[in-house]
Amino acid sequence: MQPASQRFAPHILDAVRRQLVELVATNTQITLAVVTSADGFEVAAHPDLPMAQRIAAMSSSLQALSEAMAREASLSRSRNLIIEADSGTIVVLGIPDISPRLSLAVVASGSEILGRLLWVTRSCSAALARSLRA
Amino acid sequence: MIVTSDQELKIVFAGPMGAGKTTAIRAISDTPPISTEVDNIDRALCDKESTTVALDYGQLLLQDGTAVRLYGTPGQERFSFMWEILCGGAMGVILLIDGSSSAALSDLRTYAETFHRLNPNQPLVIGVGRATCTDGRQLDEYADAVASRGIVAPVFDVDVRQREDVLLLIETLLCILEAQAPEADHAAG
Repeated sequence: MQPASQRFAPHILDAVRRQLVELVATNTQITLAVVTSADGFEVAAHPDLPMAQRIAAMSSSLQALSEAMAREASLSRSRNLIIEADSGTIVVLGIPDISPRLSLAVVASGSEILGRLLWVTRSCSAALARSLRA
Repeated sequence: MIVTSDQELKIVFAGPMGAGKTTAIRAISDTPPISTEVDNIDRALCDKESTTVALDYGQLLLQDGTAVRLYGTPGQERFSFMWEILCGGAMGVILLIDGSSSAALSDLRTYAETFHRLNPNQPLVIGVGRATCTDGRQLDEYADAVASRGIVAPVFDVDVRQREDVLLLIETLLCILEAQAPEADHAAG
């Protein structure tokens, strides 16, 4: 099985990893950031935690489910997936205008403010799109 | 539990990527199925354009009024968390295998063991697609392969694009459920 990370040039993956490192470093409540292919492969993650691969697969499943649910409810395109748990928040966003489709999943601890988390995740997603298109 | 009319049953379609789970549910669902297919980038594993990453969902109303909810699983092991979720409350599992794959028998053993472990008391029915069975010998090999793991399950040669073939799998599963039902259930039914 060819990992999704092998489908991108090394310099692009380096740029993606740098952005994930920066996202986590500048937002101390973020405990994990994972870029995932639509079919559930981890492309890059920071930090390099064992759970990153499973979070990648789960985020693609949940994103596909949320899109199916939005379609079923005639709500057009699903944009964000937000999971608010007792001790933290997970945000999954599609990275815009990339083929094959990729998404960014971010796990944050409970003290992070949702609006701020969405803003930094969206900013990172846009920066990732620029890197991946380069 | 006996299968009577006006009840709801949940059946799970399992099996490796490319075995035909999405196609089977499309073939029999009374309503347009809910699909979570995305572009498949893992062409080395299976050369198909799209793959299911969460579930397929369809509904089927049988002649006796039984409503069957049909759930299709993603085939790849990385989505095994969905297998556990989808098997919760299921009455049985239909395991589909691609008979043209060189890994068909090992896939059968792996998936039969996994889903039998998830649903030890629930019946398993096996459908082998794209098989080249001329004298039934190959189907015996499939039956022997699961029997060697201590699992008893009927094996059928099916074309999952054909509604009748998929219905045969479901009807077989329902017959096993009836046969497993306690005497009291039979009397009540």
